[in-house]
Amino acid sequence: MTQMGEEMGAFPHVQPVPASATLNSPITQENEMTATPTTAIAASMRGGYKDYGHGDAAVRALNGVNVDIAKGEFTAIMGPSGSGKSTLLHTLAGLDRLTAGESTIAGIVITSLSEAQVTQVRRDTLGFVFQSFNLIPSLTARENITLPLDIAGTKADPAWFDEIITILGLGDRLKHLPAELSGGQQQRVAVARALVSRPAIIFADEPSGNLDSKSGAELLTFMKRAVKEFGQTIVMVTHDPTAASYADRILFLEDGHFVDEMREPTAERVLDRMKQMGH
Amino acid sequence: MFRLAVKSVKHNPKRLILTAIAVALGVSLVAATFTFTNSLSSGFHALFSEIYAGTDVIVEADPDAASDPDPNSQFQGTDAILSPEDVAAVSAIDGVAVAGGSLQVNGTVLPKDSGTNSGFGGGGAPSQIFNWSDEPRLSNSTIVEGRALQSDGEILLDIDSLSKLDYAIGDTVTIATDLGTKDFTLVGTIRFGENNSLQGATLAFVSDAAAHTMADTPNYQSIAVIADDGVSPASLIDPITEVIPNGTRAITGEEKANEQSDSLDSILSYINIFAIAFALISLFVGAYIIVNTFRIIVTQRTREFGLLRAIGATGKQIRRMILLEALVVALVASTIGIIAGYLLALAATSLLGLVIGDVFGALTLPLTAVGWSYALGLLVTLGAAIVPAIHASNISPMAALREAATESKKPLGRRNVVGSAMFLLGLVSVFVGLYASLEKPFIYVGVGAVLLILGTTLLAAQVLVPLAYALRGALTTMFRIDGKLAANNIRREPRRSANTAAALMIGVMLLALTATFTESLKSVITSEFQAITAQFIVVGSQGDVPQAAMDEIAEVDGVKSVIRLATNNVELVDTTGTINDPDGTAPTEFDASSADADTVDQGFNFHTDPAFSEIGDGVFIGTDLQALGLKVGDSVTLKGDASTQDLKITGVYKDDDSPGFFMDWSTATDLFSEVPIQQGLVVLNDGVDVDATQQVIEDALHDDYPLVILQQPSELVQIVNQIINMILGFISALLLTALLIALLGVANTLLLSVTERTREIGLLRAVGLKKSSIWRMITIESMVMALFGTVLGMILGVGLGSALVLSLKDQGFDGVAIPWVALVIYTVLAAIAGVLAAIWPAWRASRMDILQAIAADG
Repeated sequence: MTQMGEEMGAFPHVQPVPASATLNSPITQENEMTATPTTAIAASMRGGYKDYGHGDAAVRALNGVNVDIAKGEFTAIMGPSGSGKSTLLHTLAGLDRLTAGESTIAGIVITSLSEAQVTQVRRDTLGFVFQSFNLIPSLTARENITLPLDIAGTKADPAWFDEIITILGLGDRLKHLPAELSGGQQQRVAVARALVSRPAIIFADEPSGNLDSKSGAELLTFMKRAVKEFGQTIVMVTHDPTAASYADRILFLEDGHFVDEMREPTAERVLDRMKQMGH
Repeated sequence: MFRLAVKSVKHNPKRLILTAIAVALGVSLVAATFTFTNSLSSGFHALFSEIYAGTDVIVEADPDAASDPDPNSQFQGTDAILSPEDVAAVSAIDGVAVAGGSLQVNGTVLPKDSGTNSGFGGGGAPSQIFNWSDEPRLSNSTIVEGRALQSDGEILLDIDSLSKLDYAIGDTVTIATDLGTKDFTLVGTIRFGENNSLQGATLAFVSDAAAHTMADTPNYQSIAVIADDGVSPASLIDPITEVIPNGTRAITGEEKANEQSDSLDSILSYINIFAIAFALISLFVGAYIIVNTFRIIVTQRTREFGLLRAIGATGKQIRRMILLEALVVALVASTIGIIAGYLLALAATSLLGLVIGDVFGALTLPLTAVGWSYALGLLVTLGAAIVPAIHASNISPMAALREAATESKKPLGRRNVVGSAMFLLGLVSVFVGLYASLEKPFIYVGVGAVLLILGTTLLAAQVLVPLAYALRGALTTMFRIDGKLAANNIRREPRRSANTAAALMIGVMLLALTATFTESLKSVITSEFQAITAQFIVVGSQGDVPQAAMDEIAEVDGVKSVIRLATNNVELVDTTGTINDPDGTAPTEFDASSADADTVDQGFNFHTDPAFSEIGDGVFIGTDLQALGLKVGDSVTLKGDASTQDLKITGVYKDDDSPGFFMDWSTATDLFSEVPIQQGLVVLNDGVDVDATQQVIEDALHDDYPLVILQQPSELVQIVNQIINMILGFISALLLTALLIALLGVANTLLLSVTERTREIGLLRAVGLKKSSIWRMITIESMVMALFGTVLGMILGVGLGSALVLSLKDQGFDGVAIPWVALVIYTVLAAIAGVLAAIWPAWRASRMDILQAIAADG
């Protein structure tokens, strides 16, 4: 984290992040979490617009999104297909650029950074879990997990690494290639990789989308534990009510903007809410 | 990142195997040649050291002072200019223990019971015939069997030649020289040095007197000097130099050996440069494959790179990673290439050793070979991987989230513009090089050719699209759905197909160029010989034709006339005409060609005005002198080594390539002390049987002049054509590597695109396409690419070859001859090659598991 702070100093539009020090202390974080939602912001978007195509073919995927992602929270973004939820995730994470509006990660306004600078922000402050093709086929599980650190040219903290793989149950799988792992194991390796560099936020795009219900439940439980025990901030996009019910907070997206929000959800409540949206 | 690069190469080596083979093949060519020439060099170095081992100082003609220095002729006798008095003078010097004159006879030891005088070489092995010295310290040879020479009619032969020429002690050995043949009795065998390593030559010794007789001189060519004990060879150089005549020099044995090694090494270095040139061609072709491979790999790994970008890898890191992968491939491939090259050289030296004897020294891999191999391998591989690496670094992180991984369909617009520009620039450069008579024209031609190739490669993609579209109908009719799919596949990736075809194009282009050039050369030579109306051409297999041999031929029944032809050097001292020479750079030395003017028109159609027989006491002038401004009616003062003559210009030579002065034989003998007959022509009376007369003449020459060869012009044409074909074959063999690499390229592209189309092929199989259909589809694709490349190559090659031939008009080329037979052969071979190249990819594609293929992830 100290390294991250130094890196951030290199960028122009740094906004001071209140209470960032608390991130270093999972216990404090956990206490805060279970009590009331923190006011500290991990990521935000103001007036986010995203258009694809030009002229007649133009499609507006995001239509004036305003959102704050709280630190140490497990946030789920739900919405019917075509609602713009994946686009929201990509623009929030700096994978894609907004047409108009501003978004920040850990206090850095990424919408005004160059491509190289955004890449560095991603490298130093974000983790990703995708629905599929999360792992480099030629690297073992261990090498895939430490990949972000290798890219940044740093070493893994052995204690932290052991803790992650113990929790994720990957101890005996580290020497295997992705092709030798089950779908659930592959996704767990992806989560381990996202966690290993202690990112400010992990973005997950339908992480359980390709898994059977048992493996999916396991994976989501691990993710929830990461939030509870390490104060990890996670933003997950999903269209599955069961998956969303693991989150602390659900944001409902429709036609490119938020229409509702739900706290301490259950699968039934989420399903009901989705039905109201016409699904 | 280095680990990721290595892992990636190791994880999926199959897709890089053919690329690595391509690089290794090119590299092995370099390594093999360097090792080969190095071995040859060390072999000859050992020989030279042995030759001069026992000799402290050598006195010989000074190569810098000699009129026609020929330092490269190791086995040819030079002029004998050291008299016996000189030998005595050197012997008398303080510190000289022994000095002996050495004389080499220019002749051939004939094999037993031979003496044929047909064919080049006169039937004899390359021979070294020397005067024998009884002083053992002056000889590197020791008697093995028999005894030393006791009379002038005796001879010694080296032990290996004894069996080679089928002689035994006591036999009569015949030596043929310019002056005729001479018989000797074999009295003993000798061994040269330690191992009799003579690099395949025959070594013979005759007595001092016999050597002088056969060489027709009382003198020696060199003097070998042995110093007294304790006297350093170098200290003798000055005192010896004082007593020896002008134009000779004294040099220590050690220096002489080094000098000869160095001059040989400089020749061998040209062979190395030649090899590097051909290796560069091969690697240039290989570069096409590397570009294609990495392009396809990058496409296939789009999601992987997207993921890396998403989790924070920079574009630069991705680029570096691809280049690292290329580096790994290059290192592995170059190493394999070096090993393969060494083995190739080992095979070549062993094989040649069996044929021409032990010419080679220890086979070691020289450092230069390793250096060049790695340098070329790395340079080409990394250079070719740069563009795909830049492509990869531009992949957006969003690519990781897309399902399909296909090459983006950019329009060909920019490619066409760049391609056209390169093509035109190349064309201009080639023509400037060929016709503008600039300095170093080959640079313009070379650069132009490369630009033409690159331009054609880029444009080929544009040609392929409509071509595949046009072929679709024909292929569909011929092969139904298989043909249609194949045509679609070619059209789908025009860049990839074009690059693949272009790799083959380069090799075929060079072949077609060489074939066009040699075909035209053959037609020139055929027409040149048509100027000869004489029935026979007479040449000496080891030098000039003796006058006595010509006299003997003239005596034969049925011979109408004999014509002597010679060329000397003459100095143009003065002229009454004006010489157009503003810079003062015009030469003063010219060729002086002479012939028997009264009979020459019977045997040779000289393109002169007036006829050669009208020349009288005057001279005709060639094109170079006409260009200087001399004309008929001017007088010239010519200086030969015998006299200086004022001569009138009475005619001109009309051919494009005939320089200098032309004169009657008698004029030449006035000007020069010696007019050696380089060639003779024999004209027969009408109605005389040519073959029978040839037999009669050969029989007459057999005994006295076995080195004189009688040839009918048509036979000579055949021989020359054979030599040209051999050169063509040699160049084709060297280009074989480039062609092989290009074929690997076709296989490689297909293999990678089969992997890429796994899902599609699975789907085709699922809906009922048979395995044999898949096989045929890929074979058709392969053949179309191979034929396309071949046709492009032939068009370029014949075009460039024609341009080259036309630019050499001044050298006597009168027109372009297109090698149709060769072109047909290339086309057939290309089709076959297409079938062969498809085997592996088609096998892979046809045995794909349907379910797995459909389920394949990206």
